[in-house]
Amino acid sequence: MIEFKHVNKWFGKLHVLNDVNLDIDPGEVLVICGPSGSGKSTLIRCINRLENIQEGEIIVDGVPVHDKKTNLTKLRADIGFVFQQFHLYPHMTVLQNVMLAPVNVKKMSSAAAEKISKEKLTQVGLTDKAGAYPAQLSGGQQQRVAIARGLAMSPKIMLFDEPTSALDPEMIGEVLDVMVNLVSEGMTMCVVTHEMGFAKKVADRVLFMDFGKIIETGRPDEFFDNPQTLRAADFISKILTH
Amino acid sequence: MMAFYFSRLVEIFPFFLKGLWMTTQIAFISLFTCTILGFVLGILRSGKNRIIKWLIGVYVSFVRGTPFVVQVFIVFFILPEWGIQLKAFPAALLAMGIMGSAFICEIVSGGISAISKGQWEAGTASGLTLIQQLRLVIIPQAMKVILPPLVGQYVLLIKDTSVVSVIGVMELTRVGWVTVMRIPEGLMVFSLVGALYFVISYPLILLSNYLERRMAI
Ligand SMILES: Nc1ncnc2c1ncn2[C@@H]1O[C@H](COP(=O)(O)OP(=O)(O)O)[C@@H](O)[C@H]1O
Ligand SMILES: [Mg+2]
Repeated sequence: MIEFKHVNKWFGKLHVLNDVNLDIDPGEVLVICGPSGSGKSTLIRCINRLENIQEGEIIVDGVPVHDKKTNLTKLRADIGFVFQQFHLYPHMTVLQNVMLAPVNVKKMSSAAAEKISKEKLTQVGLTDKAGAYPAQLSGGQQQRVAIARGLAMSPKIMLFDEPTSALDPEMIGEVLDVMVNLVSEGMTMCVVTHEMGFAKKVADRVLFMDFGKIIETGRPDEFFDNPQTLRAADFISKILTH
Repeated sequence: MMAFYFSRLVEIFPFFLKGLWMTTQIAFISLFTCTILGFVLGILRSGKNRIIKWLIGVYVSFVRGTPFVVQVFIVFFILPEWGIQLKAFPAALLAMGIMGSAFICEIVSGGISAISKGQWEAGTASGLTLIQQLRLVIIPQAMKVILPPLVGQYVLLIKDTSVVSVIGVMELTRVGWVTVMRIPEGLMVFSLVGALYFVISYPLILLSNYLERRMAI
């Protein structure tokens, strides 16, 4: 479904992705972890080409992402992206936020877009907030709207960049619940997170990055209980004590 | 004597109204074109193309760094040297357009840069084109920042139309000059001129104050 072939990327002199090779199957749930600045965000941002790469190739559902001829609108319409800071549109209501891309990218009628948007809001448990503005919602609610916004495009892939890191601890659960629920629907997901509980519960694979390199991959229980590299072990001990 | 001049002034008042009409035309035609051009330039200036950004930067600096009266002279006297002969009225509009768009460009690009990168990225990630991102996401939010200084700039533009009197456009200020030759009551004549400017700019000042208060919330 998502394939990285010898991907290299630099920000100036910083080698932010160092020969990344990766193959993600349809329906797979991949958790990506690693220290801050290790290139996790950059890695998933390359998948929908929020970032360009200098070497190698990324193929999503048969489409070479960084090819000049690739229709980016179509590619992105099939990939939902959830940001750490939500990035809801503050001047629109919750419903308008969710409907925006279905209407303007998929060219749905507003009736059809409204129907699917309301379904997705129900799925994230926010039916009653359709008319509210983002500023009136808690962080956890805002992030759930952001997830609904992604889902309203009926994507094949959902990407999450530390979706719970900006949340107060008591709101992390409600967002993770929504994500777990998505897993059971068979969604292909890449999730940058340090939520070990979530990873152990639903991830098929955990990927550990450091200095732009994939250091280690493994099944979540193996990775967390018995890491193969010193760096991963060190990292896990840090998130445990944290 | 005062009374005599006053009645003369009343007699030629239609002449002032003509000047007011000319001022209004110059002001509103240039407000309109400056707004469109200023938005286009402001949007380009917040874009990615370095060369375009640099060119617009040079243009804006030139306009900000030279007196408007000099810009008017350049348009009116220098362009003919290159074979572009303009009558006073189009020259006035051109000079106003060049000056006003630069200031509005600054206001617009300032407003756009106040919107976080995340808003662009959210739009990009969901498949919106660049134009859609601007139209649906960025500009509606940036308007909150843009509107108060924009209307303030309109007031300045209206007042700056007085400068084009130097190339002979028969607008309010020039009407004042011409009148004062015949009615040597400078205070009286220019109080009238001032009052007429105030008539068109005051509503905008009120609007600007209102927007300032509303957007602050
Ligand atoms: N647009 C950018 N320009 C320059 N450097 C960047 C940019 N984005 C990220 N970086 C740098 O690249 C490295 C990896 O960043 P990131 O992928 O965000 O790491 P992570 O998500 O693992 O914390 C960091 O050192 C960061 O400072
Ligand atoms: Mg990150």
